[in-house]
Amino acid sequence: MRGLIEKDLRLTLVRKQTIAIFLLMALFMGLSMKGSFVVSYVTMLAMIIATSTISYDEYDNGMAFIFTMPFDRRTYVREKYLFNLIMAIGAWVFGILVYGILDLIRNNGAGLGEIPMLVTVVPCIYMVAAIMIPLQLYFGTEKGRLALAVLFGAIVVVVMAGSSVIKSSVNPLAAVAKALDGLPVAASILLVFAGAAILTGISYLCSVRIVEKKEF
Amino acid sequence: MVKVENLVKNYGNFKLELSMEIADGRVTGIVGKNGAGKSTTIKSILGLIKPDGGHVTINGVEAERLSSRDKEKIGVSLSDSGFSMLLSIRDIICILKKMYPAFDEAFFTNSCKAQGLPMNKQIKEYSTGMRAKLRALIAMSHGAQLLVMDEPTAGLDVEARNDILDMIRNYLREDDKRSVLISSHISSDLEGLCDDIYLIHDGKVVLHEDTDAILDNYGVLKVSEEAYEQLDKSYILRSRKDSFGYSCFTNEKHYYAENNPGIVIENSGIDDLILMMTGGN
Repeated sequence: MRGLIEKDLRLTLVRKQTIAIFLLMALFMGLSMKGSFVVSYVTMLAMIIATSTISYDEYDNGMAFIFTMPFDRRTYVREKYLFNLIMAIGAWVFGILVYGILDLIRNNGAGLGEIPMLVTVVPCIYMVAAIMIPLQLYFGTEKGRLALAVLFGAIVVVVMAGSSVIKSSVNPLAAVAKALDGLPVAASILLVFAGAAILTGISYLCSVRIVEKKEF
Repeated sequence: MVKVENLVKNYGNFKLELSMEIADGRVTGIVGKNGAGKSTTIKSILGLIKPDGGHVTINGVEAERLSSRDKEKIGVSLSDSGFSMLLSIRDIICILKKMYPAFDEAFFTNSCKAQGLPMNKQIKEYSTGMRAKLRALIAMSHGAQLLVMDEPTAGLDVEARNDILDMIRNYLREDDKRSVLISSHISSDLEGLCDDIYLIHDGKVVLHEDTDAILDNYGVLKVSEEAYEQLDKSYILRSRKDSFGYSCFTNEKHYYAENNPGIVIENSGIDDLILMMTGGN
């Protein structure tokens, strides 16, 4: 596992210039935009970088050699989820630092109270990774991106249709939405974490099944 | 060390169906034409593909169920796969250190330097020969008891090929229990290295023989049509019609030399073995 994390870290650091540009953009966004968008932005970018290590593994038939090294297929999958989590948390901390420092300078720290709620950025964006990882493993890099685009398109349609249903009439969904709206912050945070944990669990099992069936 | 028992793997019309064994301390070669099943055999041994039938075991453990400890004792060099080309040797050292508890950093670094491999350049900037040397050195960097090398010298010039073969010989000299499974289509590489050779054709083992026996006992008889009719064919493995008559491949060239004075016998090597056993009648 340590060797795999080292490999992914090295593959990530290969793109130092890209990462530096991302971080500069984050700083620029933090300076030019109000609010906490920068936190979600850098966390999302870190997630994209982390999941792209699967593409690097696949490139030039690299998977065949990778799987001759001393770990099993399940460990490979576990490492991908762990690496994504490490990257998400690292980027989130960076985003929070940018946001917090700028808020202290601009507003004497008036916006720092938002930070507890911003903790949910990590599980929310990690859920995207939980969808991306099995798709990339199953379809490969190119088809995986296409599958992801189709999936997110479908999610947008479902969400839009769902919100119009909630708004348009009295129904059980509206009651659920109202109940969620009234939840205390701590409960909302817990709910997001629980949702991410369930989705990650399902995603992990799917990924293990995909990788265990693969031939290289 | 490695036992392949009745291995079956189907790919459309192609069917691999073979058994083989690599004993401790032996260097076993696999030869055959392109598409004969060499890489499929190696991938089955490494657990990269799932057999449709039969068993592949390494030290008694099924290839698909090898633990991390078991895999640490295997060094692998694949012709078409390796670490990402974006990494440098410095990166690879850091990865191998964490991947293999027995990784010998001093040996690896010194060997890379001795072979003229730049430590900080990305692998994509290396020549074909440099990449092949790096793949071989990675396989040997952690004291593996079994080296599995798929076409480690393919596409290389004579000097680079000799460098890699010397690396393998030195590696074997350090511990006489080390085994090597190597596939190649360059016969001279195998003749000077392997203890025994498996010839694979159309997914089947058509011949398994000690290299010394191939070089000492096998030969090609060149005979006219009349001489062919009268020839004792007890030890003729394959024969092929030629412009002058027949080329006959035998595993008892001394028998024919003694019993047929004046017969033309060419010493055979692995190239003849492949040509005659996979192309003759």
